[in-house]
This record gives sequence, structure tokens and C-alpha cells, in this order.
Amino acid sequence: MASYRESGVRLYAISYDEADALADYAAAHQATFTLLSDPDSEVIESFGILNTLIPPDEHPWYGIPFPGAYAIDGDGMVVAKFFEHNFAVRAGPEQMLAAALGQDFDVPASAEPVQKVTVEVAMDGEYLPMGVTRHLIATFRVPAGQHLYGAPVPDGLIAASIELDDIDGVLSYEPLAPPTSELTLSGSGETLQVYDGDVVLRLPVTQNARAMVKDDEGRHVIISGRVRWQACNDVECFLPESVPFSFRADAGFPVLGDMGPGEGRVPAMNGAAHFQKMIDRRTEQ
Amino acid sequence: MEIQVDTRGAATSGPFFEDAEGFNMPLAPDSANRRIPLGDFPTGPEVGSILPNIVATDQAGNTVDLHADRAGQPAVVVFYRSAVW
Repeated sequence: MASYRESGVRLYAISYDEADALADYAAAHQATFTLLSDPDSEVIESFGILNTLIPPDEHPWYGIPFPGAYAIDGDGMVVAKFFEHNFAVRAGPEQMLAAALGQDFDVPASAEPVQKVTVEVAMDGEYLPMGVTRHLIATFRVPAGQHLYGAPVPDGLIAASIELDDIDGVLSYEPLAPPTSELTLSGSGETLQVYDGDVVLRLPVTQNARAMVKDDEGRHVIISGRVRWQACNDVECFLPESVPFSFRADAGFPVLGDMGPGEGRVPAMNGAAHFQKMIDRRTEQ
Repeated sequence: MEIQVDTRGAATSGPFFEDAEGFNMPLAPDSANRRIPLGDFPTGPEVGSILPNIVATDQAGNTVDLHADRAGQPAVVVFYRSAVW
């Protein structure tokens, strides 16, 4: 939340809860962002995202949205959306902040020009809770006069990409990449998608608890894979390259409400009483 | 848009049910509070459009006009199921 405050990006979270439930939630979690109450799901319906897989008589579940998030710029324009088909999965705050700031594909300043392509891989958070996505961020630095390829590429060329090893319990989703520019080959007339200069690629990852290992230092997962690319200049292409990466990320379960005992639950917001109130309000009508 | 329910994993037996991505929960995949779409589902305003304004009550009981409240700053707007359950 500090990074949102420091960068001036406002955070709003809207749900079909009553305002008094949101007040208890905010107090229990020391939430400093704005929680908005939409108890009759009017906003949710106006956005067209009411979860219609739940019929109106299924209390109190009816009225929730297909969950997701929007990053908007200073003009209020939607610059990115974060919706997952699996409701057990949700986007982490770091990627939404980067999108709202328009910085998701910014290449950090570098001191020295490179003589050959270099790549660094990092995750946009220290911690990987079950079901929360973080982004693996690969930063390619490309010598002047060379370019990399974006997908799709014709046979024989390798697009720049981040690939995860097949690790049981580690999941990845659609990769994200900045726009390419087009390069038409003079000989064949074939058009290629290229990245001119340095480029950042992102791969959303999460874990489903099967990959978690618990030891004396707590729970963690090992994230490993490789980055691939092929660099070319106007005259020739160099051999495809592949660089492995592997790192340990602290892991755990997401924080849950206080509907019952269990690890990670916050026993302070009186959730069971609010839940009963939700049912009563919807069944007494 | 015809929205399908994702019932993959429904064959696993309780008390924990594993969905198609290997997430385990004590709820069958067709439970209302775990029902998820298979394939496309609506995700609201498109990238490139202006986010429709939201006027709603906040946790302090104040009415918030989102676009006025953010005062020209970028924002992240999260729609989630519930703070209670």
C-alpha cells in the first residue's frame, strides 16, 4: 500500500458488502484504501460483470461479480484489465500499480551500452501466496543495431520468451509483451514482428500449494525456467540463446476472513455475524 | 454470451475438491460460491474506454464519487466477491 501512496495511485475495492461490514474489515486489516459498498449490486450490474452463474435465489452468493480489476490512467481511461477465469486466482498489486502508472514495460535505465544481448529475470514481489499472481519480468538489453523477435515468428527463428519449467503446483498464464514494430524482409517480402532495442517481457505466475515446501525458514516454492531469444541485425542472425533461471520465493496461503479457525485467518472483523446479516437481509424480502 | 460452468474436477471426492488447475477447496466445483466460468465471460469496460463513474458508500459511510475523488490521479479499481466470506 505504501508504494501506491508514494506513486499517487489510488486504490478502490468494491463489493456487494454492507458499509458496516467494510468498516469492520478495514479496522481488522488496517486498510487505508477505499472500500466501496454496492449492497444491491447496482454498480456490478452496470459494469456488466454480475456473476450470472449464480441464480437470484441462491443466498447470499447471488450478487457477486465475476471478480477482476481495472487499472486506469489519470484521464480515467482503462489501460489494463485483470480478470481470471479461476476465482482462486487473482492479480497481485504490483502488476496493477505498474499498469496504472504506464510503467509495465519500462526498461530501467542502464549505465553502459551492451556488446551482446543480456537478460535479467526478477519477480515483482518477494512473496508468492497461493492463487495470487506475480509477474516474472525479463529485461533484455540489446546492442545498438540488433533486434529481437516477438511472437509469432516463422520457422527457423526464435521469439524472445520466458518459459517455466514443468513444476507440479507452479502455474503460468498468458505472457504479456509490449507492441512490436514490423520489419519487412527485402528478399522474401515476409513481415516479422521485432523489438528494436531493449525490451521487457512479463509472465504471470502463481502456485496452487502443491509446489510449496515447508522448512525451518517457513514455506517457499522454487520457480525455475529459461529465457530464450535470438538476436539479428540487418545482415545476419545470431544463434538462438537460452539462459536458465531459478530462485526461491517465500510462499504461503492468502489471508482469509474470520469465518472459522485456521492459519492466516484474521479473527477480528466479526465475519460470521455479518454473514448472517447478509442472509437475513436477502431472505426477509 | 453463453457462459459455461467449469465442472472439470467435479469427479474428485470430498472433503477436498481439486479444480482443473490443482487448487484444492472444501467446496464442490458446482457450489454457487465456487462456480467459475469455462471459457469466455464478461469482463466489463474495454481497455481504451473511459471507466464508467462509480458513486458508492465507503467504509466510513461517506459517499464517494470515484472520478472526482481520485482528483486526476491514476487508480486501480478492484471488484471482488466479498470482505465477509
